[in-house]
Amino acid sequence: MNERNKKRTGTLISIQDSLVKARFYDDVIMGETAGISVDGKLLQAEVLQIDPDPKNADAGIVEMQVFEDLTGAQIGDEVEFTGKPLSVLLGPGLLTSIWDGLQNPLYKLGEKDAYLVPGMKAPALDEEKTWEFTPGVQVGDEVSGGDAIGSVPEGRLDHKILVPFNLGKCKVETIIQKSSVNITEVVAVVSDIQNVKHELKLAFRQAVKNPIPFKERVIPSKTISTGVRVIDFLAPVGYGGTVGNPGPFGAGKTVLQHSLCKYALADIIIMAACGERAGEAVEVFKDFAELDDPSTGDSLMNRMCIFGNTSSMPVAAREASVFIALTVGEYYRYQGYNVILLADSTSRWAQALRERSGRQGDIPGPEAFPMDIPDQIKGMYQRAGADEGTGGSLTFIGTVSPAGGNFQEPVTQATMDATGGFWGLSQDRADAKKYPAIDPLAYTSSVYDSFISWTDRNKMLQTLHEANGIDQTISTIGLKKVPVEKYVLYQKGQTIDFCVMQQDAFHKLDACTRPERLKVINEAVQKLIDSPIEFGNSEMEDEELKELVKTRFDELRQWWKDWNSSAQSEEEITDLPNKIEQFTLQGEYAL
Amino acid sequence: MIRKEINKISEVGKALISVEGNPGVALNHVVELLEANTNQSLSFAKAINITEGSTVFQVFNGTQGLSTKTKIRMHEVPLSAGFSYNMLGRSFNGVGDVADGGPDIIFEKQVSTRLDTLNPTVRLVPKQPMWTGIPMIDVFNTLVKSQKIPIFAGPTEPYNRLLSQIAQGAQADVIIFAGIGLKFDEYHYFKEQLSQSGNIDKTIMFSHLAGDSQIKGLMLPDVALSVAREFADQGKDVLVLLTDMTNWSNILRNVANYQDQIPSLQGYPGSLYSELAKRYEVAADIEGAGSITIIGATTLESLEDPVPDNTGYITEGQFFLENGKLKLARSLSRLKQQVNGDTRSDHRPIMTAMASLLADAEKAYEAAEVGAANDPFSQKLLRYREDFIANMEEPFGDSVGLEAALDRCWDILKRHFEPTETGLSKKLIDQYWN
Repeated sequence: MNERNKKRTGTLISIQDSLVKARFYDDVIMGETAGISVDGKLLQAEVLQIDPDPKNADAGIVEMQVFEDLTGAQIGDEVEFTGKPLSVLLGPGLLTSIWDGLQNPLYKLGEKDAYLVPGMKAPALDEEKTWEFTPGVQVGDEVSGGDAIGSVPEGRLDHKILVPFNLGKCKVETIIQKSSVNITEVVAVVSDIQNVKHELKLAFRQAVKNPIPFKERVIPSKTISTGVRVIDFLAPVGYGGTVGNPGPFGAGKTVLQHSLCKYALADIIIMAACGERAGEAVEVFKDFAELDDPSTGDSLMNRMCIFGNTSSMPVAAREASVFIALTVGEYYRYQGYNVILLADSTSRWAQALRERSGRQGDIPGPEAFPMDIPDQIKGMYQRAGADEGTGGSLTFIGTVSPAGGNFQEPVTQATMDATGGFWGLSQDRADAKKYPAIDPLAYTSSVYDSFISWTDRNKMLQTLHEANGIDQTISTIGLKKVPVEKYVLYQKGQTIDFCVMQQDAFHKLDACTRPERLKVINEAVQKLIDSPIEFGNSEMEDEELKELVKTRFDELRQWWKDWNSSAQSEEEITDLPNKIEQFTLQGEYAL
Repeated sequence: MIRKEINKISEVGKALISVEGNPGVALNHVVELLEANTNQSLSFAKAINITEGSTVFQVFNGTQGLSTKTKIRMHEVPLSAGFSYNMLGRSFNGVGDVADGGPDIIFEKQVSTRLDTLNPTVRLVPKQPMWTGIPMIDVFNTLVKSQKIPIFAGPTEPYNRLLSQIAQGAQADVIIFAGIGLKFDEYHYFKEQLSQSGNIDKTIMFSHLAGDSQIKGLMLPDVALSVAREFADQGKDVLVLLTDMTNWSNILRNVANYQDQIPSLQGYPGSLYSELAKRYEVAADIEGAGSITIIGATTLESLEDPVPDNTGYITEGQFFLENGKLKLARSLSRLKQQVNGDTRSDHRPIMTAMASLLADAEKAYEAAEVGAANDPFSQKLLRYREDFIANMEEPFGDSVGLEAALDRCWDILKRHFEPTETGLSKKLIDQYWN
């Protein structure tokens, strides 16, 4: 970016929380990063704005956000500009890593101090570890940004070594033979059309605010098996899709995120723990490491990497953490892998922008968020998508933490507008401990054909809707005035809700339901919906009859719930539709 | 050492002063304010906003009596707190000065109050239950060592009584009491309770009374938590009682307003979430060291108020106190799943079953108000609801062991329902119903 190889510096003239201003005499580039020397430590900062200096016509004033605590900073402290934008190191070793929001590896920092002290740094990827490199091109071949020049095995994945995306058409000058190399060694030299030589290594830096391109972007078409029944039945998400997942605190966002981490079928899961509880990220990388990847049987951590910019870490790094995580996701998508990015929570990200814009003195929009927050949120979700050119995809599932649980607030509204899917968590369902608390009547999904047919899905939904209506009638006018047939329909809906939509995320069998089992359940549900069920006989009093209906359905639900947590053999599994058939045929005598 | 002194105060506000020019002070560093003629120490102050033209300080003792002639002496260190085992059994103010009239303390060391973030990799996943003897907590929302959890309550609820009851039975080496904006009788109550339960010798009290200088209240959690952290680093299990964080947040709001910050919701600064999180996140079980558990109190008018709302997103659940009862519906311990799987086989299922029935009962209760709960099952639910409130949601009284509390749950179910109506599995019914 900066042609002259001269050191460019400035001096601090204003310090407030994480926002500083510095005077400079040379040149400053919008978006570049800078180091601020405070008490012998070098703190990382990013340029936000450049203004003229009212006191000095030869100078300018640059406004920066600092990613670390500024205690001890003074007027006159030196700033050195790097000429480089905020970037992420991409290469083998990303998987299984746990970083802070700026890609500092937390285990490495933990060897130095139990606390994250400002100024602490460590290389983002292990520089000593060697990788078996197999070249994929020959001297004289033509390559350009994004092309693979070889690969290394990373766990079970074939990690392609790419030409950095900022390079244009190049010719391979040298390339090493199959050998063991670390990420600091040169594996190839290429020359561009101006004959400038570039050394390529296993890893390279990529600016995080410029998306890695698609080869051939397509609409998501293949549904992800998340293992969560209410999602896979009613609100499915496709590989490359986007979902906003808002819910008041305590409605179960975290447990749902953890379920997706454990059970969603994908090559790679990236967790951006953005401004949330540290303990939850720790649970993922300490406890989940002992769990198996649902598709490979490996340790679950082998398919994961985690950015933990938790709530007590510097706010300015929250914004960076989401962009860094997105860029890592795009990088693996470009290699042809299916990646799911779980960002928890995008509201904290938006709040970081709000704090910053407040300090900068911008005119605030609704609830003091920056005016352009909807555009920023849209831009972020737009980086997800499916790529037919590479065969990869990046799915973005963002949680939203609406203030007061009110879905009308700006971030939730902007997210609904930006995403293809919407899983609204309901306080009422959470209060009743009906988990997952995704309201089966309040969601959207842009996926049409899923594990069950569109018609079946609609029938299921219709029954839930009608049952909900009858439920409201019962609460307003009482059960007495509701006809028996309606009461039976209500009980059907209750059964589907209790036995299908609700799921025990902590039960080893019930926690995850795969498509084969979903199909069996669907068969049972459709049978239950379609069959008129006769109970008792014409001599029975209305009240007596309803008691009987309730007892029979209670028994059915108990049986079905037991089935959820016990049926494993094929015989046991296929028993469900049979039991429902019996139940519908025999009514009173069922079970 | 001779320290630099200046007297260039240009602006004296409610809790803040500004100094013209750049006196050479660093961000978050401390200065001392001295009476111009007598050099008598008036207060300490902390630099919070520095520019070429002026520097803004928060004044610990308030600004009453300060003048533009008041002298400023540089100390060139960030705010720290004194630490010593001799602090146990003693009382301090919000910046760590002795406040019980007793002798001064010779501190073993000064600890930083910056509250650096604990590296997540040295956190242990919390797995040790802390039993309270309160059925609503032990059965339904088990408390776990290193948890951070507030009591949400209206201002007139007995939340301090509950806090003190939990503290009395707490399995902790050190108790740190951090009270912000307390009324004198609340302060007195805690002191009495801690003395009576024999816990006073392992307790350090940091108190800020309503009407004391705001900045001292603002600083108090940082000072108290830094001392707590030092004990934890030395291997101790520490319980911190933070009451009332709504008072603290209101001070934060006031100071932000004095600084002309743009407010986000109800006048609170946009950083409210981050500021609360910075304090609550100190709770941790530290690998190779001790632990810090934080139980707070957050008073509220409505759950949607910014303070309880932001707190709920930060803490690992909340205990919701209403009409003197611990309400099941809005209470939550996010860490309970870590410990309630290996207690008794019926623990988790009965918790879920009773909660689900109670939710139905609440619906029936609403229906009953319009005369619509006329069927037999609704009647059952209504009787169950009453029983539940009286026998499960009551937090005060004799301590009940977990086994006895679980048995009590079965007794309640048996009093009102048929086995299949509970939604519990046949296996559990066979084992526990009779």
